[in-house]
Amino acid sequence: QNLKCVTQSLCKMVCTWDVSSKGKHGQTDFCYTTNDILPAVCFKTKEKRVEIPVPESSTMVTITMNSISGTAFATKEFEIHRKDISFVPLTPRILSLTPDFSTSTLTVKWSVNGSVFPYGLDTFWQIEILRKEAMEKVAQVTYYSKPTHEDIILSWNWTSDMPLECTSHYVKIRCYINVTQFAGPKDWSDWSPTEKVPGKDTEPNGSGVFPQDTVVAVGSDVTICCVHEEGEVIQRMTYGSEVYPMIRLSNRSSAIRVLNASASDTSGTNVLCILLPEDMHGTVLFVGYAPDIPQNLSCETSNFLIIKCTWKPGRPSGLYGKRKTKYSLFERTSGKNVSCEVNEMNKDSVCGFPVLADQKIYDFVLGVSNPIGQTESSLLVDLTQRVCPKAPEKLTVSGSSSTSAHLRWFINGSFAGIRLLCQTEISSGHSERKLHNVSMPGGKFTTYTTQLNALHPYTKYQFRVRCSAADHFWKWSDWSRIEEHTTLEA
Amino acid sequence: MAAADSPSAALRRHDLCTRGIRLAGKMRADVVDLLDTYVEQQGLDASVSVTAVEGVPAAAVERWDEQTGTQRLLENLAAYRAFRALLAQMLEEQQEQLGEADAALGPALAAVLLQVSAFAYHLEELLRLESRGPPSEEGAGPPPLSHLGLFERKLRGLGVLRELAQWAVRSARDLRQLAKPSLGSSSAPGPAESP
Repeated sequence: QNLKCVTQSLCKMVCTWDVSSKGKHGQTDFCYTTNDILPAVCFKTKEKRVEIPVPESSTMVTITMNSISGTAFATKEFEIHRKDISFVPLTPRILSLTPDFSTSTLTVKWSVNGSVFPYGLDTFWQIEILRKEAMEKVAQVTYYSKPTHEDIILSWNWTSDMPLECTSHYVKIRCYINVTQFAGPKDWSDWSPTEKVPGKDTEPNGSGVFPQDTVVAVGSDVTICCVHEEGEVIQRMTYGSEVYPMIRLSNRSSAIRVLNASASDTSGTNVLCILLPEDMHGTVLFVGYAPDIPQNLSCETSNFLIIKCTWKPGRPSGLYGKRKTKYSLFERTSGKNVSCEVNEMNKDSVCGFPVLADQKIYDFVLGVSNPIGQTESSLLVDLTQRVCPKAPEKLTVSGSSSTSAHLRWFINGSFAGIRLLCQTEISSGHSERKLHNVSMPGGKFTTYTTQLNALHPYTKYQFRVRCSAADHFWKWSDWSRIEEHTTLEA
Repeated sequence: MAAADSPSAALRRHDLCTRGIRLAGKMRADVVDLLDTYVEQQGLDASVSVTAVEGVPAAAVERWDEQTGTQRLLENLAAYRAFRALLAQMLEEQQEQLGEADAALGPALAAVLLQVSAFAYHLEELLRLESRGPPSEEGAGPPPLSHLGLFERKLRGLGVLRELAQWAVRSARDLRQLAKPSLGSSSAPGPAESP
């Protein structure tokens, strides 16, 4: 009775049946037809299970039960149609289950035997994650693939909502193949053998609070667990100064769930696990923000030696020391990368990049990252259009005439590639301030001069100078110091 | 000290002891303040209990009154050399964990470290008054922290500071003992003088 045939490869099928009579009996004669012409194929078996080819359309099966002495006592004939045969794929096998404790991620890899599996059929893989002593199901996902005839290894990642150290995690997998051309019922394969990632609560010296010293984003929901030794009891678990209700994971592990975590202090938020008798474990959680996209990125040079980039960092990350937000300046054309030393406490941020020989256009990418996230800001700049010289130095005024004066100053920088525009402010006691502009070829760490005429005789003047790029004005330098000079009497 | 003190040596030792007592008092006050800053900055509960910390010399001593002057000086010196290394390690840890966000704790730690260094030098001066002089520095410095989690390091720092505060008290008592005129630094006090 209940003859049932199942195929896993569309070529062979396994048929099983039940026997109603309880008594002892001998071997069974099993015969099946392959087609209408050829004679039936018969053989003896002790099992109630045989493997025979999958028929093109149908096959006649005759099962004869024999007594111990070999005399037939029961015979039954079945016609098995192709549509009666169930298709159940081969049970898959997990190749590897790899934990990444730092990210609480499990990576499952399993193989697909291309030669066995029908080529190019929609295949669904169901992956189940179980946890705790009671192996409670925590996740089930269906993964889709379309195998080719090659043997391939499929891989899937799952990130746990709790540190993998907290308790053991188990994974099993099964598959379903949508064999469109097969008329019979199709079913999921059996579950694969379960693979396990043991938690610290299974290790002799595994006690502690997990995650250890990790960084999470403000607003996160965080599960923190306390693994303790056999015989110890958790009296309470605190997050910051607050006691939290505990969730039992196993006889050596319990957890708390912190929802919508708020920003921690500079030294992080302490999580304590107070144990009886007389023990304590702890960890520190750093709760901060991913970096903001830098705003107002601007780059200029004051001396054609160093390019100074500034930007507004945006909201502070709340992370400090070795977890603080780090900045780097990458220049695409040259491929040069510079890491920037930025003080998180400052409002404005600055980074220096060396001026490169024979390079005028700079394609900057300011990269920003901290343990929570990363972002970037970019800027394309023609350096000759971003010149803001230093304030002119060593301004001297000379002249042995009653109506003119000769000014001389020094600018710290190498401006040989551009023209400079310098402006002199002329003021004297009672008269209105006048401005005198002069442009001149830039030089390399050199002094510049100009001649001022049409001055009043025997008059005390105050002069100061500032400069900028002549061709593409960007910014004026600061003013030089004021220099006084009195013209001669007429 | 085998031979009786010459008057100038006795005067010098008394002077060093007196100044040492003042330095120990100042150090204790600063360490107590530092403890408050540390507990607050590290988000700890001031009453949290800390088990004995590896590498931190214990201030408590049995039969304190039976110690010779030399033993007192040597034990003090060993302790403050250890604290000098421990505080330097804590300072480095602070810099790594907080960087520029640490406006209070780092400077306060550095200030106490200076005092501990000065006190160690002071003890070496006292030992120089004896014929033997201070022992050379040995030992591999404090145990590394890498195997400890951040919370354990916070507790450890608390343990170091608490013990240092205890040592400051003990040092003042030791130096008072040494400052007593009848005592050479190497002789133990007679029963009549035990506190």
